[in-house]
Amino acid sequence: MKDSGRSMGKRLVGILAIPVGVLMIILILCGAKGIRLFATEGNWIAFFQATATVMITTIVLSINLNSGRFDFSIGSISLLSSVISASICIRFGLATGPMLLISIIAGAVLGLCSGVVYVLVKLPPIIISLGITLLYEGAAFTVTNGYGVSFVANNELVSFPSVFNYIIVIVLCLAFAIVVFDHTKFGYDYKALLSGQKVAVETGIHEVKNAIICYTIAGGMMGIVGFLSATNTGTIQMALNFGSISIMFTAFLPMFIGGFIGRFCNEKIGYFIGALTMAFVSLAYARLNVHSSVQQIITALLLVGFLIYLNNEKVIKNIFGFRKRRAEKNYEV
Amino acid sequence: MKVDRWKRYFANLTPVIGLLVLMGAFFVIGTKEDINITYGLQTIINQSVVVAVVATGAVFIYTLGSFDISLGAAVAVSALMGAISYNKTKSILVMFLVCVSVAILISLFNSVLASFFNLPVFVTTIAMLSVLNALVLILIKINGTGSQIAVPADAVMDLDSLGVKLTVLILFVIVCIILFNFTSIGRMQKFIGGNATCAKLTGISGSKMAIVAFAIAGIGVGLGAFLTIIYAPTLTKDTASSVGMDIIIAIVFGGMPVSGGARSKIYAAVIGAFSMTFLGQIMILLNFNSGIGQMVKAAIFIIIVYIASSNHKNKLLPR
Repeated sequence: MKDSGRSMGKRLVGILAIPVGVLMIILILCGAKGIRLFATEGNWIAFFQATATVMITTIVLSINLNSGRFDFSIGSISLLSSVISASICIRFGLATGPMLLISIIAGAVLGLCSGVVYVLVKLPPIIISLGITLLYEGAAFTVTNGYGVSFVANNELVSFPSVFNYIIVIVLCLAFAIVVFDHTKFGYDYKALLSGQKVAVETGIHEVKNAIICYTIAGGMMGIVGFLSATNTGTIQMALNFGSISIMFTAFLPMFIGGFIGRFCNEKIGYFIGALTMAFVSLAYARLNVHSSVQQIITALLLVGFLIYLNNEKVIKNIFGFRKRRAEKNYEV
Repeated sequence: MKVDRWKRYFANLTPVIGLLVLMGAFFVIGTKEDINITYGLQTIINQSVVVAVVATGAVFIYTLGSFDISLGAAVAVSALMGAISYNKTKSILVMFLVCVSVAILISLFNSVLASFFNLPVFVTTIAMLSVLNALVLILIKINGTGSQIAVPADAVMDLDSLGVKLTVLILFVIVCIILFNFTSIGRMQKFIGGNATCAKLTGISGSKMAIVAFAIAGIGVGLGAFLTIIYAPTLTKDTASSVGMDIIIAIVFGGMPVSGGARSKIYAAVIGAFSMTFLGQIMILLNFNSGIGQMVKAAIFIIIVYIASSNHKNKLLPR
C-alpha cells in the first residue's frame, strides 16, 4: 500500500514537474517585471487556443512519426481544409458548427488521399509528403486565386474563440485519440506495427489499411487545426514553396516533452501536458514582449537541451547517482 | 531476365531522361512562344547553380541516411556574414573565406552537437533552423540598413558571370565525385547508409563520418552563399529561404534514395537542381499561375521519383 502510494506520488511528480516548473519560472520572470501572466480574458483565450492547436498538431505528428513515417504535409492539409470549409461557409452563409464539420471531413479526405498515394506508389513517406505538400499548397492557392480567404467581418464565423469552446475541443480530441489508439483493434494493430513492422505483417495485421486510417485520422485532426487557426484570426493566408510546413515545427518540443511525461501516464495526456507547457511559454513570450527572433532561439535551445537530457539520461543519472553515493559514503565514514 | 535488366537501366536513367525531356520541352515551348532562349538558359543556370552546389555537398549527409533541413538557413547566415565582412574589409577574398568558414563552422556545430550528445541529427537541424533563421534577422538588424545588408553591385559585377558560376559548380562536383567514388570516405559513407550496425561492427566510426559529411556539406553551403552574394548582392531575410527545401527536392528528383546507402550518387543533385528549374521555367512559359504550376511540379516530381525507384520496391510499406 505504502509502495503503491509512493509510486503514485512519483508518477504525479513525473507528470507535473515540467509544466509546474516552467510555470514557476515564467511567473517569477513576469513578477520581476510586474506583469500578470493572465491579465485579460484575451490572454486566457490565447492560452487555450495555443494549447488546443499545439496539442492536436503534436498528436497528429506523432501518429505517423512514431511509425517512422515523416509527414511534411500536415500543415498543407490544415491550410487546404480550412480554405475549403471557409469558402463553402462564406458562399452558403453557414455557421461555425458546419464549418468545423466540413473542415474535419475535408481534412480527412485530404489525409486519405495522401495515405492512398503512399500505399500505392510505395515511396518513402518523406518523399510522398513533399509532393503532397506542394500539391495541396498549390490547390489552396488556385482555389483562392492567391488572395487567401478573409471573413473578419463575418461575426458568425469569428465567434468561435472562447475558453469554453477550446476546452471542449481539447477534451474531445484527447478522448478521441486515447480511445482510438489505446482501446480499439485498430490501435492495437497500430502499436504492433510500430514495434515490429515485419513480424506484425507476418502475423496477419493489415498494414496498408492501418496506414490509410492513420493518414485519414491525421488529416481530419489537421482539419480541426485549420479551423481553429482560421476562426481565430478570420483570415487564411496562402503559402507556397513549403511555407505551410512551419506549423509542424511547433509540435516537436511538445512531442518530446509529451514522450517523457508519457512514461508516467498515457502518452496522449503527455502530449496535452507538453502542449500546455508550450502554451505557457508562448503566452509568456507575448506578455514579456519577447522579440520573435529571441523566441525562436529560446525555443530551439529548450528543444536541444531537452533532447540532450533525454538522450543522455542514463549518463546524467549515473553522474548524479555517483555523487550521491559518494556523499552518502563520506557521511557514513 | 533480360527484360528486368533493361527495366533496371531505364529506371536508373529516369532522372537523366526526365532532365532531357524537360530541356526539350523548354526549347520547343520557348521557340513557340518566341522567347530569347539564350537569356532563358542563363536564367536557368543562375537559378540552379546555388541549389546544385549546396545539394552536391549535402549528398554526403544524405548518403549516411541523415537529413539536414537547416542548409538553406545556413546559406543565408553565411552569405550575410560574408557580406558584412566585405563591407568591413572591401576584400572579395575575405568575403569568400568568411562565407566558407562560417558555413563549415555551422555544419560542424550541427554534427558535433549530434555526435557528442548522441542526438538525432534531423531534430538537431530543426533546432538549428530556428536558431539560424533568428540569426538572419538579428544580423540584418544589427549590421544592415533596416531590412537588408548589401554588397555594392559593382564590387561583384565581374564575378557575376556564367563562367565563374559554372567553374565553381564543376570544380566542386569533380572534387565531390573523387571523394565519393574513389576514396574510402565515400565507401564508408555508403556502407553506413546501407547498414549502420554492420559498418560499426567493422570498425567504421559513424560519428567521424558524420563530421566529415557535414564538413563537406559545409563547403557546399559556403560556396552557395558566395554565389548567392554574387547573383543578388542585396541580402534580405528572404535570401535563400527556399533553398533548404529545394535541396531535398533536387536530391530526390535526381534519383538519390533518401535512405542513403550504396545507391547514392553525386550527380543526382545537379540533375535534380537543373530539372526543377527547367520545370519551373516551363510553368512560367505556359502562363500557369503559381498554384497550378506548383501542382504540376508536384505531380511530375512524384511520377519521376516513382519510376526511378520502381526497381526497389519492398513487400512492406517503406518508412
